[in-house]
Amino acid sequence: MTQIKLRQIDEYRWEIPREGKMRTRGLIFASKEMLPKIHEDRSLEQVANVATLPGIEGPSMAMPDIHWGYGFPIGGVAAFNLEEGVVSPGGVGYDINCGVRLLRTNLEREAIADRVEELVNALFHNIPTGVGSRRKDIKLTVPTLKEVMRYGAAWAVKQGFGRAEDLAHIEAGGQIPGADPEVVSQFAMDRGKDQLGTLGSGNHFVEVGYVAEIYDEKLARALELFPGQVTVIIHTGSRGLGHQVCDDFIKVMLKASAKYGIELPDRQLCSAPIRSPEGQQYLAAMAAAANFAFANRQMITHWVRESFEQVLQMGPRDLGLELIYDVAHNIAKIEKHLIDGKEKTVCVHRKGATRAFPPGHPEVPPAYRETGQPVLIPGDMGRYSFVLVGTQKALEETFGSTCHGAGRELSRAAAIKAAKGRRVVQEMAAKGIIVRGAGRDTIDEEISEAYKDVENVVNVTHGAGISKKVAKLKPLGVIKG
Amino acid sequence: MASPASPTRKRPYRFLAHTADVGLRIRGESLEELFANAARALTATMVDRRRLRRRLSREITVEAPDQEALLVAWLNHLLYLYDVDGFLGRDFTLTQLTPERLTARAVGDIYDPTRHIAKTAVKAATYHHLDITRVPGGWQATVILDL
Repeated sequence: MTQIKLRQIDEYRWEIPREGKMRTRGLIFASKEMLPKIHEDRSLEQVANVATLPGIEGPSMAMPDIHWGYGFPIGGVAAFNLEEGVVSPGGVGYDINCGVRLLRTNLEREAIADRVEELVNALFHNIPTGVGSRRKDIKLTVPTLKEVMRYGAAWAVKQGFGRAEDLAHIEAGGQIPGADPEVVSQFAMDRGKDQLGTLGSGNHFVEVGYVAEIYDEKLARALELFPGQVTVIIHTGSRGLGHQVCDDFIKVMLKASAKYGIELPDRQLCSAPIRSPEGQQYLAAMAAAANFAFANRQMITHWVRESFEQVLQMGPRDLGLELIYDVAHNIAKIEKHLIDGKEKTVCVHRKGATRAFPPGHPEVPPAYRETGQPVLIPGDMGRYSFVLVGTQKALEETFGSTCHGAGRELSRAAAIKAAKGRRVVQEMAAKGIIVRGAGRDTIDEEISEAYKDVENVVNVTHGAGISKKVAKLKPLGVIKG
Repeated sequence: MASPASPTRKRPYRFLAHTADVGLRIRGESLEELFANAARALTATMVDRRRLRRRLSREITVEAPDQEALLVAWLNHLLYLYDVDGFLGRDFTLTQLTPERLTARAVGDIYDPTRHIAKTAVKAATYHHLDITRVPGGWQATVILDL
């Protein structure tokens, strides 16, 4: 295997020069220190592979949390025009609309200092977690499930999960347009019917934390963040329903790629022209799964609020558990962007990448018109997470996109090996972090050493100007899948 | 002690390290055994397989365009059964297997968090590095699972 050659552009930008079948160049955001690790897996080759797909606009990009993914790298961003461009389920991933939402509170860290364990237990009790987590209290009939897929978070609010004000603080209002449940298979619906309102497993979590550091006071104030403030992060996606939609459409796209003569350097890049029936159906099914994920995070938000109310015996007004923002980091969106001075509609694939729109953008809710869209970057459970905002530079350079997280450093197996003989839960408790998980392996897999330091990732995006640091959050209590 | 070359003496499956995910290297004397072992490996990724009782069975039919895609479809169908009602197979018998179609019977249990030890949830079996090859004395397959 030949190592992909990178040409340095500046401190944070590296180019994969266009060659062979590439239709455009690759652009990697990373620091010099990150490169040896990035070269270890084949993710740069994947950036180059994506660059061969028809209709790609701008470079094939990767954020500093780049690592190997199925077909497209994780951390990948690629936009395709609607005329010749393609859409690929591999450019979104199995967990459609996996994403993060951040809640603020009126509470100071000291106010919950001796209640964190109780809070974590209440969350663990109220939100099903872990392998095959399902809700016994909510089983959706097919017509209801279709409503969920059409209306997303708005459906959940209508059922009494959360408040109407929440919706304005969700990417796309918590409802991706064009969702068509009729193109979602019965298999996918079977898998999703009792998984709405569940966390799932893997790296998904609900975390109670606090604002440990503020980088930009003005922005923090506008986002209603203050030092020492208690916060909650929710990280989950579309569960089995989304996985099934992805799997169903990979099968469709394997055939479609052949039918439309799309040359694939890797089978997992299978795709179809955006304008083709297959492409349109995938986008409609993906939107349906994405809406399911928005509803999922909305319902979990409701149970987070209930848990806080139960444990702290406080009313909603005093708690002030308000949604700051909810962003998707596995999605393909139809968006308008300026390309070579002309406005063009493109399909932006963000796979392990987050939208980061600037101040004044029409898709940014009024509350953030001045600040730019909030971006939430979760780190590992033992360190910290970041709140950023989107920038004009991102809009111009990366189709309004930035990083999504830390990225794994160790494989799961290696992490479990590294955790062997250790008592991870006790270790975390000694650091002042209460952890509860459904399975022992899932906690061991998620030890801090298993992840890259998210601060390095965020510093690259901040340094490159594609997002701006606002605050650092540290964990106090976590429930894991 | 020298290990014999016969695949029957080899482990039916083993896990391959893969950043973020896990790979399965599966062996079988026949294709039927290979498919059954792949299913066992999948169950073993998710729970402690030995604790599953042989209580319930499921009749399964899966179709795909080719043999390798059929392996992925088979594993994803088992994930589907698990998501639907928590069914996890412990033993698998392939009753029919062609390059495009299989019928099988899975015998196992409904996942019960009070009795079973959960390991890792699997999102899907993928097409990446997917491979089925003939090896001396049988077959070998590689499948990467997205976790």
